[in-house]
Amino acid sequence: MATQQEQIEGFGHVSRTIGTVFRYVLLAATLFGIVALTILLIYVANDAIQPLTADPGWHLTFFLTLVVPTLLVGGYLLRTDPASFRFGATVVGLLAVSTMFAGGAAMIFVDIVPPVVWFGYVVALGLALGGVVGIERLDRRLPFLARFVGAGAVIVAALGIVPGAIQSLPVYPTDGIMLTLSLGAPVAVVVGRYAAAEAGRRWTALAMLVALAAVGAGEVLGPLLAIGAVPATVLLAVAVVPTAGYAVGHTRRFPARRSGLALTAAVLGGALVGAAAVDALGFAGPQSWVDWQFLTSAHSGTAAEAGLYPAIGGSILLMVTVAALSFPLGVGAAVYLEEYAPDNRFTRFIDVNISNLAGVPSVVYGLLGLGVFVTYLGQPTGTVLIGGATLALLILPIVIISAREALRSVPDSMRQASYGMGATRWQTIKNVVLPRAFPGILTGTILALGRAIGETAPLIMIGAPNVLFSLPTSLSSKVSAMPLQVYAWASLFASEPFYQAAVPAGVVVLLIVLLSMNSIAIVLRNKYQTDQ
Amino acid sequence: MSTDDLQRDLTQRTENAPQELLTRSFFFLCAVLSIVTTVSIILMLTTEAAKFFSVTAPLMGVEGPTASAVDFLTGTEWVINNEQFGVLPLVSATLAITIGSAVVALPLGVATAIYLSEYASPRAQRVLKPALEVLAGVPTVVYGFFAVVYITPALRTIIPGLGTFNMLSASIVVGIMIIPMVASISEDAMSAVPDSLRQAGYGMGATKFDVSVGIVVPASLSGIFSSFILALSRAIGETMAVTVAAGTQANLINPLNPADYLEGALPMTAAMVNLLTGDITGGGIAYRSLFAIGLTLFVITLIMNVISDLVAQRYREEY
Repeated sequence: MATQQEQIEGFGHVSRTIGTVFRYVLLAATLFGIVALTILLIYVANDAIQPLTADPGWHLTFFLTLVVPTLLVGGYLLRTDPASFRFGATVVGLLAVSTMFAGGAAMIFVDIVPPVVWFGYVVALGLALGGVVGIERLDRRLPFLARFVGAGAVIVAALGIVPGAIQSLPVYPTDGIMLTLSLGAPVAVVVGRYAAAEAGRRWTALAMLVALAAVGAGEVLGPLLAIGAVPATVLLAVAVVPTAGYAVGHTRRFPARRSGLALTAAVLGGALVGAAAVDALGFAGPQSWVDWQFLTSAHSGTAAEAGLYPAIGGSILLMVTVAALSFPLGVGAAVYLEEYAPDNRFTRFIDVNISNLAGVPSVVYGLLGLGVFVTYLGQPTGTVLIGGATLALLILPIVIISAREALRSVPDSMRQASYGMGATRWQTIKNVVLPRAFPGILTGTILALGRAIGETAPLIMIGAPNVLFSLPTSLSSKVSAMPLQVYAWASLFASEPFYQAAVPAGVVVLLIVLLSMNSIAIVLRNKYQTDQ
Repeated sequence: MSTDDLQRDLTQRTENAPQELLTRSFFFLCAVLSIVTTVSIILMLTTEAAKFFSVTAPLMGVEGPTASAVDFLTGTEWVINNEQFGVLPLVSATLAITIGSAVVALPLGVATAIYLSEYASPRAQRVLKPALEVLAGVPTVVYGFFAVVYITPALRTIIPGLGTFNMLSASIVVGIMIIPMVASISEDAMSAVPDSLRQAGYGMGATKFDVSVGIVVPASLSGIFSSFILALSRAIGETMAVTVAAGTQANLINPLNPADYLEGALPMTAAMVNLLTGDITGGGIAYRSLFAIGLTLFVITLIMNVISDLVAQRYREEY
């Protein structure tokens, strides 16, 4: 028996050089795009804000009052107590993001929807809701159809009659009071329940009253600060009161994290002290193009006077329309595909169709909007409604795909448990599946809305005007949007002044809005994942 | 009476109760909306494009000027005012953008995917993945502005003859934009490769480099390939970056000749936007040419998406 025996001469030489080089090449490739974008962002931020035009004293003052204390407090907290650090940073972030939202909301109440109209609709909605609950409680034995028709009639009647009736009243309260009641009251209820959770009814009621009073203070504070009662009330209701409520509620739940508020105090106090100090010492700040004038004025032929106001308002209105259209439709389609659809050819066809729709170029959706809404349905070009509908169709596949993922992550045992209790399919979906999947659905929708807010091509296709001097006031008025305005400045008004002033400023505003939307989505996603 | 009610409640078939029917049909309609969208895109594009071509226009009962389909597909001049509708210059520019962005994005995207799936620590992944998502989240019109204002002047220090609007910087920004797409889909495919294959490689004495290049990449080739096709289809449909950065001159260029990237050209998507920012009257021949280009674009991207799907399914390695 001849055994073949090979002589093994060690394992040979294994080179580590190739592996090491390969690893660093990969790392460099990974970082290439990120670094390139970071450099471009630094360039555009520098062009827009021009930090180097400020006095050295201005930088020094803010360095001493804001940067040094924040770094000291932040560094100390991060080393000793990361949870507190995260809490403090969250409060700062929440305040910043909600202030931005408050700005948008204030724009709506000042220029688009007068507080009295809003007040009328909120009251009508409250009455309609009360009516529907009343009908539901009246008699369970009523046939479903009768209850459904009755509820529909109550809603239509309330929304049809009440707002008009309130507007035709001879005297109505001031704008600030109406906003406090209609916007502040729901906020106060939520904030009060969160801040005074498990402290008994009396404390909860007290917390709600304090929150409501704080919102109401806008009526007095607004004129004092020279920003007007309406913006002040909105700012308090949307930004200040919710943030304060979150801080109070969170410290009550986790008393050990109280030290995190030192970071918040360092940032806010540092900014205020710094602002007061540079004012007193007479140091000039940077000649930023992103300033109050830019945010509050309309387009102009001269770059230095051009502003983004109508475009910001247009983007907000488009967002509201897109969210209102795409959220129910997208979630509905996802629920059908995940919960109802039988596994047959038709379902698979819808499936393939949705993933193909996600790959259709946005400019083709623009053509769809132009062809269907403008040419066939005879709508006027470039209105809020058409723009919103086109963008909603564009992001619908993304919303459906992400909502399906969220629904799929709900464990089947929960559905079975619900069926076992005798629940019907719709009851199971409504009470078990949707609440559990909601954070995931919300994350996907926010990311999709971020995509919609940056889209330009579909808006051009449906004939949105490049230049608009006033805010759209209704669904059927012409709309501009931030990216569209940036495009108009970068191509139609292409010249050195616009390239150096208006376009970078517009880009910075657009990116700040987008990045804060994305960060909300990412924070939601992280929280949701750790909760599971 | 109460027992009767109880009996009815317990034996009732809830599947077809009015409330259930109502909600189910609402959800069904939502799902059908996606099919309605596809059908109306196809109908819209084909009917309007049919009115554009002289072969089919009489069938649609359209009077007025039309264009010959042969001229459209083989013509080398795109001049709206002279009613010269040759799509070749536009296709050549789109092809150039696609090739240029592929040169940037495909190697970088695959390298990123290998790094993320094989080398990066979980902590590095948590930082790098959202950072890459940001690359895809920046609005495309902003990328176009970056190309014109920052990248072109920077490139001009190396290549003095570069025009203000050129294909080179447009390709670079489109490439950067689609890196995350290549990276995330390829990385999913690589993560799906079972660990036992890697362990087998290490057991044979392979280094990490050998395992990555010799085992993981071949095993996930179908996923990588389908990510390429999807990303390129995105590059073809990319609109605002090329509209701002590539210029408005419809030149017929050779996508394989690097020298042609130094000048501007007009990709299909940019041509559509330019048609609409100029004055066109609804229903005219220029308006219809819009839909003819749109149809071309839609067909190309649809075919690429379908191929990508087929590749991912047909050549998936089952473990």
